[in-house]
Amino acid sequence: MVSYNLLSNTYSDNNVLCCLCTENIALQILHQDISLPCKQIHTSSHTESEVTMSHIIEIQNVTKEFKVLNRREGLKGSLRDLFSRDYKIVRAVDNVSMDIDQGEIVGYLGPNGAGKSTTIKMMTGVLEPSSGEILVNGAAPYKNRTRNAQEIGVVFGQRSQLWWALPLVESFKILKDIYQIDDKQYSDMMDLYRSLVDIEPLLHKPVRQMSLGQRTLSDILAAFLHDPKIVFLDEPTIGLDVSMKAKIRTLIHALNKEKNTTVILTTHDMGDVDALCRRIVIIDKGKMLYDNDIAHLKGFFGSYRTLKIRTAGQLSETAGMIEKDLPDFTVSSDDEWISILVDEDKKKVIDVLAGLQSSYDIKDMQLEEISTEEVIKKIYEEGVK
Amino acid sequence: MQRKSLRFYLRIYRKILVQDLKSKMSYRADFIISTIGMIFTNIAGFVSFWILFRSFPSINGWTYHEILFLYGFSLVSLTPVQCLFDNNWSLRMYVYSGDFIKYCFRPINLFFYYQSEVFDIKGLGQLAFGLGTIAYSWGKIGLDLTPLMILKMIVFLITASLVMIALQNAAAASCFWIQNSFYLLDLVVRFKDYAKYPVTIFSPVFKFIFTFIMPIAFIAYYPSLVILRPDEVPLLSWLSPLIGCLFFILSYKIWMLGASKYDGTGS
Amino acid sequence: MKLKKYLTLTRAGMIESLQFRLGTVVVVVGNLIYLTVVYFLWRSIYDSAGTDVVNGMTFSDTLIYLVLATALFNFMEMYAVWEIGRKIQSGAIVLDLLKPMDYRRYLFWSYSGSFVMNFFTTFLPTFIIVAVVTKGAVPMGINLLYFVISVVMAIIINYSIDFFVGTICLFTESIWGINIMKQVIVLLLSGATVPIAFFPEPLKTIVMYLPFQSIYNAPLTILLDGSPAPGDLFMILGTQLFWCIVTTVISRLFWKVSLRQITVNGG
Repeated sequence: MVSYNLLSNTYSDNNVLCCLCTENIALQILHQDISLPCKQIHTSSHTESEVTMSHIIEIQNVTKEFKVLNRREGLKGSLRDLFSRDYKIVRAVDNVSMDIDQGEIVGYLGPNGAGKSTTIKMMTGVLEPSSGEILVNGAAPYKNRTRNAQEIGVVFGQRSQLWWALPLVESFKILKDIYQIDDKQYSDMMDLYRSLVDIEPLLHKPVRQMSLGQRTLSDILAAFLHDPKIVFLDEPTIGLDVSMKAKIRTLIHALNKEKNTTVILTTHDMGDVDALCRRIVIIDKGKMLYDNDIAHLKGFFGSYRTLKIRTAGQLSETAGMIEKDLPDFTVSSDDEWISILVDEDKKKVIDVLAGLQSSYDIKDMQLEEISTEEVIKKIYEEGVK
Repeated sequence: MQRKSLRFYLRIYRKILVQDLKSKMSYRADFIISTIGMIFTNIAGFVSFWILFRSFPSINGWTYHEILFLYGFSLVSLTPVQCLFDNNWSLRMYVYSGDFIKYCFRPINLFFYYQSEVFDIKGLGQLAFGLGTIAYSWGKIGLDLTPLMILKMIVFLITASLVMIALQNAAAASCFWIQNSFYLLDLVVRFKDYAKYPVTIFSPVFKFIFTFIMPIAFIAYYPSLVILRPDEVPLLSWLSPLIGCLFFILSYKIWMLGASKYDGTGS
Repeated sequence: MKLKKYLTLTRAGMIESLQFRLGTVVVVVGNLIYLTVVYFLWRSIYDSAGTDVVNGMTFSDTLIYLVLATALFNFMEMYAVWEIGRKIQSGAIVLDLLKPMDYRRYLFWSYSGSFVMNFFTTFLPTFIIVAVVTKGAVPMGINLLYFVISVVMAIIINYSIDFFVGTICLFTESIWGINIMKQVIVLLLSGATVPIAFFPEPLKTIVMYLPFQSIYNAPLTILLDGSPAPGDLFMILGTQLFWCIVTTVISRLFWKVSLRQITVNGG
């Protein structure tokens, strides 16, 4: 019951999003623009077959559909459900394609219910795609789940895969047997861990007594223990404090560098993305919206920068006046600053500033680059505007 | 990659078991309360059995001590399912919450990995009770104590236990298809209480059901005949080891089929 | 009393039970099989005894008693100890304590929906089948009204005991052990597994002084007696009422005191 409800909730959320953007011209523009970088990558991978060989993950036109029960409302509805049921097909992943190289850290982003977990489940061999092809290490993961499992590591931010009652070191020893790690490799790995994090106090602590941060850290170490080719991290920093987040990012970065492990990272925290990923893939409602470098993403929306100024007098009043002067740009204000989102393709910031300076008494100013977070937010919400 | 050997799995199981026992011992209060609970269950079972037979000295040609033997036999053959496969009870919870997915990423047999997580030490109390009951009734009935008899007992006890494991596996695996599979699991467990009665007391229809569809007659009745009525052993008794294995393999296939169907919609 | 907010919980519980279509089918079918098994078992037990009346109970008396005891169990059992225990261990109990309703009452009314559903899906069909099969051995008269009153009190006593035992989970992690002990004691001493009439003498007297017999033995005794002497009836219902009040008061007090202790110590 719980699972069904959860699923239908997430999808109805999507429907709300859909309703909001019925006239989603903006989104169409977005698709046209973004699909360009996606396509470039694909065409290149098809034409040069020798390049294809080096991809550790290849996903081609993958679609996954689920049958979801439509539940009726209220007591009467439940009684009717008892006798006749009404299913609908939901496309959780819709024609997604991407290639990932050994050693890459890829940020896999999208709002809740976008299809991220479904894609990951297909890459790990838990789910079979409805159509399309996935190759991990050159083989279809769902055809031989255990073989695939030997080459991957998986971490879920909130679900520990370690033995709850056992001290960490005992979990490691069992994993050593399960993955048939030889003694040399095991001790090398432990040495590496010791050099990266203060692991000693954790080793003899049962997982159930650990804090969430310690547990996540332990789970990540466990996932890398058998030196897998790919590690999937599903929201590894969720619910952690700032310093623990930083620690975990450093650890992931170091392990990726040291072992050349491919990392697929799903997260809602743009701090993770900024700290770790060069490449990001964005998916929404099952469809791929973006697949390219993070640097490209920022430039992609035009060269936006935020100009913040402080003037004499009432800020909100002045902001209203500025808005009339600059109809092309979004102007907002808070207690301290008036913020103007400037599209530098239309007008240079310096010119905007000069223009403002002639009519207003500017006391102070700041210039901010647009953050990844803002860009992603824009992509998610584009239709709403 | 080559298939992993039985030794590989045994070594892993032993390691998990030893560590698990160590950590269980450290929660002493829980351990003691659970043990008392298990002893209570066995005493209560025995008391209701005794109350019943105070009023009825024999059932369907079976004497008090023979029925007691069946009772002991069923207790012992139900021990492995209690000790080794107790995690089946949590399966539906893992499936609904979506947490089951965490078992899907290891390069070892999923069924083994899932069941190895829990060893229920409480079942050992039941084992002791059952063995005591068998020994007592063995003496009272005046059965011989030869190596062959003991060998027969061991073989038939082990294969009988496979039947209950199979039933529980299949019932637990139903949660991959239906919601609230608890009722099914509960039903199977309730029926195991009837394993201790001779199947001959039931009508032909139920005799058939309990032999071939929900084969609880193989938990105690058919295998016990080999010991208790050596002169009139039906073919089914001799076949019971084979049937035990067959049902176990079947239930394992069902379980794995369910697990491969699992899509972790909870997350 | 603001009945409406409680009835909302009843309604929600009914909707929830209806979500499990297959669950309902399994319960109904499972019960039918179970009843048949009980029938054959006791038929052959009585056949072996050679007499029609054992311990003052005929075959149909015993059958009705045991079958309806099981039906009552299915209908009253709410696994509240598990629910409370798990909530306490996961810490989710805090959310329920924040609700603008006494937790003890909140939980009871949440269960009331499944009471209603279970009454129609398990108890009523069972009752009708038993009445038909035993060809009018169930007296149909004013005793039905007394029976309903008696069952309501039985539910309250059962819930109070459950809640009391559930509260113990605030102090120990051993939900399983606590729950199994409670279940075993209640089922045996309430006469749910073997009718109390079968108990040997000193045990019978002791059991009659305990609250448990008010859960199963009392309502079933009332049901089976078509023309009860007013004195006996008054005695049974009076005892039930007494235990109703005592167990309710004790479980409330225990919950209050424990909760205070926990909040002071910070759990």
